[in-house]
Amino acid sequence: MNSSKAQNTLALTKLNLRHDWLKIVLWILGLAGLMAVAAAKFGGIYGTQKAMNTIAETLRTPAMVSLLGPFTATKPYTTAMIYGSEMMVFMGLFAAMMNLYFAVHATRAQEDTGTSELLLAHAVGRQSPLLAAIAELAIINVAAGVIEALGLQAANMPGADAAGNWLFGLGLAAFGFMFGTFALLFSQVVSNARSATILSYSWLGILFVARMGADIQDPDLTWWTIFGWIEKMELYTNNVWTPLALMLGMSVIVLAVTIALAASRDIGAGLITPRAGRARASRFLQGPLSLLARLERTSTWIWLIGMFLLGVSYGSIFGTVGDLAKANPTLSKLLGGAGTDAANKAIILAMANKLAIIFVVVATIPALLTILRLNNDEKKGYLELQHAAPISRLRLFASFAGHGLVVGSLSFLLALVGMVVAGASSATVTISAARYLRGFVGFWPALLVVCGIGALLVGLLPRLQSLVWILPIYGVISLYLGPLLDFPTWATRLTPYGWVNEVPVKAIQWAPVGWMTALACVLFVLGYLAYRRRDLTMN
Amino acid sequence: MMADVLTIDHLQKKFGKFEALKNISFSIHQGEVFGFIGPNGAGKSTTIRTLLGILKPTAGTATIFGEDAWAEAVGIHKRIAYVPGDVYLWPNLTGGEVIDFLLRLNGEAHSEKTDALIKKFDLDPTKKARTYSKGNRQKVALIAAFSSDAELYIFDEPTSGLDPLMEEVFQEEVLALKAAGKSVLLSSHILSEVERMCDRIAIIRQGEIIEIGSLQAMQQLSRSTVHVATTQDLSAIKQLPAVHQFTAKSATQATFSVDADQLGAVMTALTPLGITQLQSTPPTLEDLFLRYYNQEGDGHEQQ
Ligand SMILES: Nc1ncnc2c1ncn2[C@@H]1O[C@H](COP(=O)(O)OP(=O)(O)OP(=O)(O)O)[C@@H](O)[C@H]1O
Ligand SMILES: [Mg+2]
Repeated sequence: MNSSKAQNTLALTKLNLRHDWLKIVLWILGLAGLMAVAAAKFGGIYGTQKAMNTIAETLRTPAMVSLLGPFTATKPYTTAMIYGSEMMVFMGLFAAMMNLYFAVHATRAQEDTGTSELLLAHAVGRQSPLLAAIAELAIINVAAGVIEALGLQAANMPGADAAGNWLFGLGLAAFGFMFGTFALLFSQVVSNARSATILSYSWLGILFVARMGADIQDPDLTWWTIFGWIEKMELYTNNVWTPLALMLGMSVIVLAVTIALAASRDIGAGLITPRAGRARASRFLQGPLSLLARLERTSTWIWLIGMFLLGVSYGSIFGTVGDLAKANPTLSKLLGGAGTDAANKAIILAMANKLAIIFVVVATIPALLTILRLNNDEKKGYLELQHAAPISRLRLFASFAGHGLVVGSLSFLLALVGMVVAGASSATVTISAARYLRGFVGFWPALLVVCGIGALLVGLLPRLQSLVWILPIYGVISLYLGPLLDFPTWATRLTPYGWVNEVPVKAIQWAPVGWMTALACVLFVLGYLAYRRRDLTMN
Repeated sequence: MMADVLTIDHLQKKFGKFEALKNISFSIHQGEVFGFIGPNGAGKSTTIRTLLGILKPTAGTATIFGEDAWAEAVGIHKRIAYVPGDVYLWPNLTGGEVIDFLLRLNGEAHSEKTDALIKKFDLDPTKKARTYSKGNRQKVALIAAFSSDAELYIFDEPTSGLDPLMEEVFQEEVLALKAAGKSVLLSSHILSEVERMCDRIAIIRQGEIIEIGSLQAMQQLSRSTVHVATTQDLSAIKQLPAVHQFTAKSATQATFSVDADQLGAVMTALTPLGITQLQSTPPTLEDLFLRYYNQEGDGHEQQ
């Protein structure tokens, strides 16, 4: 490559790192800390061979395989083997998310705000912002990988060896980097940060679900799902390094394509050139709510359809999950026909509970994105013209809050409906839709409360509103991994998701449903009152 | 006074400890084009945002149509139109969609006038806002404002991105509003525009109004520049108290400035010296502006 195109890449990289250092440190410490703490706790929880045999049985069930990836270790088990198979997929998901964020942030987001244009006017090469983004991602991932490996070394789990620890850390780094390069590629294709993020997450979601299906059907197929490479490292058993090479190879290919694409497009534009639109507004576009619906149209459809398909893909494995006769023929024979049915039903319902948690947390994302958008659009200046129109602050606030809540709630409901529909056709036992939908009634108020907290921050502390993301992130960690990590009860109750009982296994507890809904209403009202009293522009 | 469409009374606005507006008072009469000028960061946009109820006053009041700008924002907004200095539009909407949307928010509809304005401002309404230049984004807001039937129009540096041709169109439209008896608040850095269109002007500096009135009144309060040539030595003129900045080209040729109200007295002193050439120019708005703007540095001795 011509050196003038890459001029000042190094300076730019430093600038990015200096600008993002706090976010980088928080992400890395979060990931490495989670791994190290979990590793330190595993020795206590899964210290005995008996405990390990029990958890290994659980991890081999299709339900757990679908959530966490396959368990391939053979007896005698070590704590590290259990750890490796429980944590790999989960950590991979987080590493990928971190990289998607930084990749879009360092490229498209900068172009959107005009920062790139400012930089390119100086002695900065045309390709430098992209190269600097690549360098930033590489540095972040290497740092994260090394720190994670050192954390594992320090935790010193029984059965862990240096090779496994380093493979885990560096494997995550390569995995994360690979998803970072995907996001860089998507950032070239579309013309703004929002679309790049949507595209990247859709891709991650598709690969994740494909991996899940492959793991259940035929683990050999998992090789084709890209996401599944992370499982093929067989941590602490065979410590296979091939997947890591594959990830790096894939990254190089994707980067080559990305750089070629970047060379052939203009700053601020995407490869897909925007078409001319309509000269007049449709009759539908009447006020802030219909405007928001119009602006969010594409992403709303993606969320609703994506969540439904996520539900379908999980529901469709209920047949495999709840098939005790196949998974454990001896036990099944022992229980008899009715007993086996009851056991199958219990397994499926327990899985439906876990899924409800995942669905509600994921459905919180579109809801919060829209609620926080009120201030984000303000910052970008989009709302100034609207403020001079006869639109009350209540109407504006309610439009964003209402749209977010409706899309979040529908996403959640559709995921469960998808699960019910696919579950009904795949499962061998019949469970009524009403039973499954206890999950909706039970967890929906938690969604409301989290959104209410978001709305309160929007009104009261606009600069700190992003803090609300801690709730879904910690929620999924505490409830997904909490039971495996033996979290104390209070630690699982730190987020509203933890205030819900085990629906649909158990009956709905109406009291928490009632007071959580009431609490959510109060939070929204307080958020509005704060919003009404303050300056709108807070730059 | 009931004839005032807008009254600002001892308005103050603090951002944390920073006092963006220290003490702002002025009013705009019915049917008047009111100019609002001042250096960058003086507080023009802050004043306007307070008028629109976007910012909450720290102290003092702003009333429009006799109603409080903060408390009655929604009611007031039905009767005003606004164009900000930096127009940011939702990137996915076309200019045409934004225009229609803004009109509808005000309970109005796309009219023949809208089409005429789109043509006049030479805007392609089918393009996505993402692809518009700064000037084109401004045109979108201007077209929506001019085609709506408001009583008070507020413009905050509306022409900062327009080319001279479009600037001309803008001025025509404002003059048409004036002819129709509408009131206009125009904040601008383009002083010729203000000079040409505004009935009265307020100059703001560091959050305070330092001068207010018609251009003539301001010129009256200020100094005219005089170029003069005489047959006899005129160096004695320098000693007159009303004469400032006296520079002599030769013994019989000089340039100096005179307090506007003392021009007559200075003429009387010059006449006996045999005037051969005389040129007196009132200060332009730019002179006034620069003078006020520089006040902090050397203003006091000049005063
Ligand atoms: N939200 C805010 N928070 C803190 N300070 C602000 C805020 N908005 C404006 N300011 C400050 O208040 C002062 C006045 O700003 P304002 O935008 O009103 O100036 P202006 O007269 O419109 O200038 P210009 O001619 O550059 O548009 C500036 O110093 C600005 O930095
Ligand atoms: Mg301004």
